[in-house]
Amino acid sequence: MRKSISKFGGVLAVPAVLAAIVAAGPSSARAPYTEEELQQQMDSLVESVSLGYDLWHGSKPEMTTNGLACGNCHPDTAASNPQTFPKYMPMFGKVVPFRDMVNWCIETPQLGQALDVNSPEMTAMEAYAFKLHRGLPIEPGLASRQTSSIPVESGKGFPHVPTGLGVDK
Amino acid sequence: MSEIENKGRRDFLSIAGKAGLTTLVAQAVGINLGVVDVVRAQTGKRGVEPFRFAIISDAHLYSFDNHKFDQQLIDAVNKVNNMTPKPDFVLFGGDVAQNGTEDQLAKGKEILSKLEMPMKIIPGEHDWYLDMGAAWRGLFGDETWSFDHKGVHFIGMNSILVNDFWTEPGLTDLERMTVMEMLESPIPGPWGVHDKQLEWLAQDVRDLAPDTPVVIFTHSPLWDYYPRWNFQTSDAPEIREILSKFDNVMSYHGHVHQTLYNRIGNMSSVAALSTSWPWPYPPVALAYPETQMNRADPSIATDGQGVQVIDLSGEFEGIVQYKPFEDSLTPFMQDGFKV
Ligand code: HEC
Ligand SMILES: [Fe+2]
Ligand SMILES: [Fe+2]
Repeated sequence: MRKSISKFGGVLAVPAVLAAIVAAGPSSARAPYTEEELQQQMDSLVESVSLGYDLWHGSKPEMTTNGLACGNCHPDTAASNPQTFPKYMPMFGKVVPFRDMVNWCIETPQLGQALDVNSPEMTAMEAYAFKLHRGLPIEPGLASRQTSSIPVESGKGFPHVPTGLGVDK
Repeated sequence: MSEIENKGRRDFLSIAGKAGLTTLVAQAVGINLGVVDVVRAQTGKRGVEPFRFAIISDAHLYSFDNHKFDQQLIDAVNKVNNMTPKPDFVLFGGDVAQNGTEDQLAKGKEILSKLEMPMKIIPGEHDWYLDMGAAWRGLFGDETWSFDHKGVHFIGMNSILVNDFWTEPGLTDLERMTVMEMLESPIPGPWGVHDKQLEWLAQDVRDLAPDTPVVIFTHSPLWDYYPRWNFQTSDAPEIREILSKFDNVMSYHGHVHQTLYNRIGNMSSVAALSTSWPWPYPPVALAYPETQMNRADPSIATDGQGVQVIDLSGEFEGIVQYKPFEDSLTPFMQDGFKV
């Protein structure tokens, strides 16, 4: 990484100021992440995905007043197509990010209370959906197909004990 | 791919080509136009007297009063009651309830009792795993049955049986139900009809002649569609083997909440729409892609849902017509298709 930067600095005529920054870069950059740090990052991600999994399956009663959870209609987050956002949605009449559509489905089919778009919970909703759609080409604009393929094998899935008890006893 | 598609189109689009079916098609078209009294086909060579039956499936009723799914099931019942001619009887394809509670099952029974014709019913996974079918059996009776109607042998079976995953980890009844309620749950594994029902089936059809027309009704499809969501029945190969002696078998099922058709050997297989919500098509190619319905619009609570009616001819050929609540069928599907 560092090597290639200084090499480009030499080959391309980089303006003096930028060259100075590039040259100064290596000495002020932090050391590469250790295995331990990378593990911590992954653990945080897994924690968020895991929270997302629970939320998609009804763990937060405020998100529904009729008992429905995202998982009722979007098993494995199917047909939520996160990789196609931002895109035009007819119900908004404009281009919207994924999280707006998450809130729309909370408020409309579930008659629930929208999530704060900047909350860790909304991030978790995205973390789980993006995790299941990893590897798919990002194509903002249109969802030409109803369902995008989901990279999970039969009988497996994100390993986690479901807590989605719903609110309907 | 295009070869499959072409084969599908040929099979489907030859509806009018078959002499025996012309009357039936005329009848179906007549129904659409509101013409009531049309020429009925003569009793067929196998003794089948033409008739129609309807399917309602997957109501997923919640315990809340006046839940939208209550009204959607009521709409389905009204739709079937208003068909002309009326179906001789109705099959209900399982998942009356969402959480398997007795109040939900009883609410379903109450709404379905408004049907003006007899009903036969089989269980879905949402009906069963709170009390292992106790309430369901108390309300609806046996889950394994057969009867003969106008020359056709009808069979119903419980296809949602799984091996015990709850005793060892000590799950409560509610936890067991919760695991089963989740379509993509990795815990229960593939379900099926299991040995006792296989033996019953073999016995039930033992003395029937190969040219007997047979309709088999289960909650899950009798083929391997998408096992991850239990869009399958693990012992379907054994069922198909037992029924392989027959010239023609029709399998109707619920659970997938979408329009779907397949044909394996002598068995054609047709899915029911749900009255509660539509499911996305899983990420696998369909053998007959033209049977895929349009994307549901989430702004319309009843889009992608409905009931279906099947007209059987004297030759034991069927016209399947999906009757969606909204206009969600592709042009190909709109007039029904032959099975
Ligand atoms: C009653 C059924 C139902 C429930 C419950 C539901 N949705 Fe939806 N949702 C739909 C339908 C139907 C669509 C349109 C699907 C399609 O286009 O195939 C949709 C579309 C979406 C889309 C846009 C997909 C696209 O490509 O346009 C997102 C994102 C989404 N839902 C997220 C959610 C989330 C998150 C939840 C839970 C908070 C949820 N949905 C709950 C039925 C539902
Ligand atoms: Fe269902
Ligand atoms: Fe089901």
